[in-house]
Amino acid sequence: MDLVDEIVLFGADWCPDCHRSIDFLNKMKIKFIYHDIDKQPEYKKKMLELTEGRNVIPTIILPNGNILQEPSNQELSKALGLDIDQINSQNKSIHELIIIGGGPAALTAAIYTTRERIETLVLEKGVVGGMAAVTDIIDNYPGFEEGISGIDLSDHLQKQAERFGAVIDYNEVLEISKDSAGLKKLKTVNGDLYARAVLIATGSDYKKVKIPGEEEYFARGVHYCATCDGAFYRDKKIAVIGGGNSAIQETLFLTRFASHIDLLVRSSIKASDILQEKIEQYVKEGKITVYLQTKTLAIEGENNEVKSVLIENKSGKKSQIKVDGVFVFVGLDPNSKFLIGSGVQLDEIGFIKTDNNLQTAIDGVFAAGDIRSGATMQIASAVGEGATAALKIRHYLED
Amino acid sequence: MLKSVTIFTTNTCAYCHMVKKYLSIKGVKYDEVNLDENPHRASEAQQLSGVLTVPVTVVTKIDNSQEVIVGYNLARLAPAIV
Ligand SMILES: Cc1cc2nc3c(=O)[nH]c(=O)nc-3n(C[C@H](O)[C@H](O)[C@H](O)COP(=O)(O)OP(=O)(O)OC[C@H]3O[C@@H](n4cnc5c(N)ncnc54)[C@H](O)[C@@H]3O)c2cc1C
Repeated sequence: MDLVDEIVLFGADWCPDCHRSIDFLNKMKIKFIYHDIDKQPEYKKKMLELTEGRNVIPTIILPNGNILQEPSNQELSKALGLDIDQINSQNKSIHELIIIGGGPAALTAAIYTTRERIETLVLEKGVVGGMAAVTDIIDNYPGFEEGISGIDLSDHLQKQAERFGAVIDYNEVLEISKDSAGLKKLKTVNGDLYARAVLIATGSDYKKVKIPGEEEYFARGVHYCATCDGAFYRDKKIAVIGGGNSAIQETLFLTRFASHIDLLVRSSIKASDILQEKIEQYVKEGKITVYLQTKTLAIEGENNEVKSVLIENKSGKKSQIKVDGVFVFVGLDPNSKFLIGSGVQLDEIGFIKTDNNLQTAIDGVFAAGDIRSGATMQIASAVGEGATAALKIRHYLED
Repeated sequence: MLKSVTIFTTNTCAYCHMVKKYLSIKGVKYDEVNLDENPHRASEAQQLSGVLTVPVTVVTKIDNSQEVIVGYNLARLAPAIV
């Protein structure tokens, strides 16, 4: 049987994953029939039959009858019996610089490198703008005397980077290694990529408190993003767990919605004076109650709804506070798990160790922003580190 | 074929912004229900999605079948708007 003649790919022109699969098959010189589901209703119907009603493209039928839905290049090549590593090393397109992450550090670095005509690919797995994009108002970023919303700042950074030619791709990096020629190989959810230099600017994610009820009521009463989910608590009672700068900032934001906030702090509040003064004002008005030296033991509820939190004070006395929802801001977890075993050195918490040139333990792999050990966790400093890294990367590529 | 797309959003939600940007790039028209402006419709979003979060994107097809997508999830959003 002529295996390749019978491959049928259902896709649409606008679908990036379809283009990726089509490019891959073309590159491999594998023949296939393309059915654009936008152009012919019967193609769409057939695709839905194959996927049992799921709208998934690309959907690929192989000659042996197997059906692949949205396969990665790796899955596709495996299903076709090809050796992807061998193929990649023969066909690799090599980028000058790949930046992992699309937050302020990454986008700033991309502005600098693309202006210097260094071809730059930015890979972002979530929201362009990173943590800055999910922050309501940024009051301390220089140049905006009235503050700027996180969404606006992210939009400006993205447009500026794209103006000079940065390409932003929605993709997640799973592993970094070096190949025999000294190129950096990135394993991603969309296949392997190669680069001469890499900048890691992956920032961090919200940490969990790891107490009973947290997982169970996730997004049903337990939240980590005030700007996303705060609006569901208009005129309701909520608890905030945490006492650092972010927790206090988020508590202040949530006062717009909630009728009352119980702020549950394990030890003492560790936030800037200006934020603490604002909290005190709300405490006087009776809108916020602060519990210091208080452990939150569990989040409780019934029928898919949060009803209360169980707390324990310094002297071990337990009590229950009735709330409709809980927001957790107990710190950040570095996004560095994908680097374990890569040769990039991490500190004891998981932040990346760098030298004075912001270079990691792997030659040609740099780190900037919140992910870097010793970073000061501010947008202005992330942006500064992004610029510094870009200049160091230029030196590295020139050598 | 699409009949309508409705997104439940808030002013400050970055993921909502990403969904809107994505639909605009794809040329898909959508109605937006901003929960900061229409707080009484929050329970509608919750009923549709089962969770208390935005964005909630409701894609209605010509045959009135509906797909509800929570968050900024391209793997589900992209095929749903075909
Ligand atoms: C609630 C809150 C309020 C804040 N308020 C302020 C403030 O008012 N002023 C201020 O200066 N700072 C503030 N900060 C801190 C600020 O947001 C960060 O310092 C800044 O965003 C760091 O930028 P970054 O580029 O290093 O990382 P991030 O902004 O965290 O961006 C990293 C990006 O990398 C992506 N990523 C991670 N892993 C991968 C992977 N494997 N593949 C692809 N992409 C990946 C993530 O999705 C993310 O978008 C606040 C933070 C929080 C949490």
